[in-house]
Amino acid sequence: MSCGQPHDKDCGEVLNSLFLFLDNELDSASCREIQQHLDECAPCLAKYDLEHVVKRLVARSCGEHAPDSLRQRVLVQIRQVHVEITEARRPGLSS
Amino acid sequence: MLCAAPGSTDMSAFESDLSAQESSVPARVGSQVMTTEPAAETPEQRAARFEQDALEYLDPLYAAALRMTRNPADAEDLVQETFAKAFAAFHQYKQGTNLKAWLYRILTNTFINSYRKRQREPQQAMTEEVEDWQIARAESHTSSGLKSAEAEALERLPDSDVKEALQRIPDDFRMAVYLADVEGFAYKEIAEIMGTPVGTVMSRLHRGRRMLREMLTDYARDRGLAAAGAERSSGDKA
Repeated sequence: MSCGQPHDKDCGEVLNSLFLFLDNELDSASCREIQQHLDECAPCLAKYDLEHVVKRLVARSCGEHAPDSLRQRVLVQIRQVHVEITEARRPGLSS
Repeated sequence: MLCAAPGSTDMSAFESDLSAQESSVPARVGSQVMTTEPAAETPEQRAARFEQDALEYLDPLYAAALRMTRNPADAEDLVQETFAKAFAAFHQYKQGTNLKAWLYRILTNTFINSYRKRQREPQQAMTEEVEDWQIARAESHTSSGLKSAEAEALERLPDSDVKEALQRIPDDFRMAVYLADVEGFAYKEIAEIMGTPVGTVMSRLHRGRRMLREMLTDYARDRGLAAAGAERSSGDKA
């Protein structure tokens, strides 16, 4: 049930590489092949669109800001660890 | 975004360094002498550099921690612990390598080693049940036309639905999807962050995305979005 047109690259091959294409994991030659296939094949393009939308949705939905109180907690802790490190080093360095 | 060269960040600094993360932080670091970083850097300067460079990633790490732990209190604790460990091991971090990925690796390790054990979710059993990831080939093309309507319907889902769907997929799948889709890490980087082969990352991405897509399709249908999309594409009035 493909679009019925002949393609340089088989639909199955394209669909197997869809995520690699979507995630920019292909070299530019393979990328062009897939792109060309998608330009010609509506069913594969629809599948690509769907995966692309899901990827975009995840990216869109997950932007969260850390509460200010957490930033403060982290800073306080870093300084505390810093003091502990400095104190632990002091005897060895005999400065 | 298409056809860009795959991101290739040097993560060699990771190698074995992070195994040190699990021990008592101050004692460990106190016993080591820094060798790599700019020779002249004092502990004070290094602390300042950490605050300036690493704290920049507080928001993304918190967002990732929220997805991992699924509740704000645990997410805050996880992030705090991550920064404490990262700071204590900061002398091992090689300047010029990917700091964000280095921090993510500590976050992931900390989550796996301390938080996940506590959570004990029945969901984990699902991980091995999902079959082969190369489902794309097996699934032949379905009727076209409806697909773009489906994509349109998914696009109109509220963020809360997407987050809920993410919460419902197994940890390992969720983390792989998150790292790829939200942070845009390359497969190789995700493999290094999660401590797995690239093939496993690909498998997790495929399975996770498929589960996500199926759930989101259900949500869209429940909300009447899918029907609306289908009607529109077939020319009916909504």
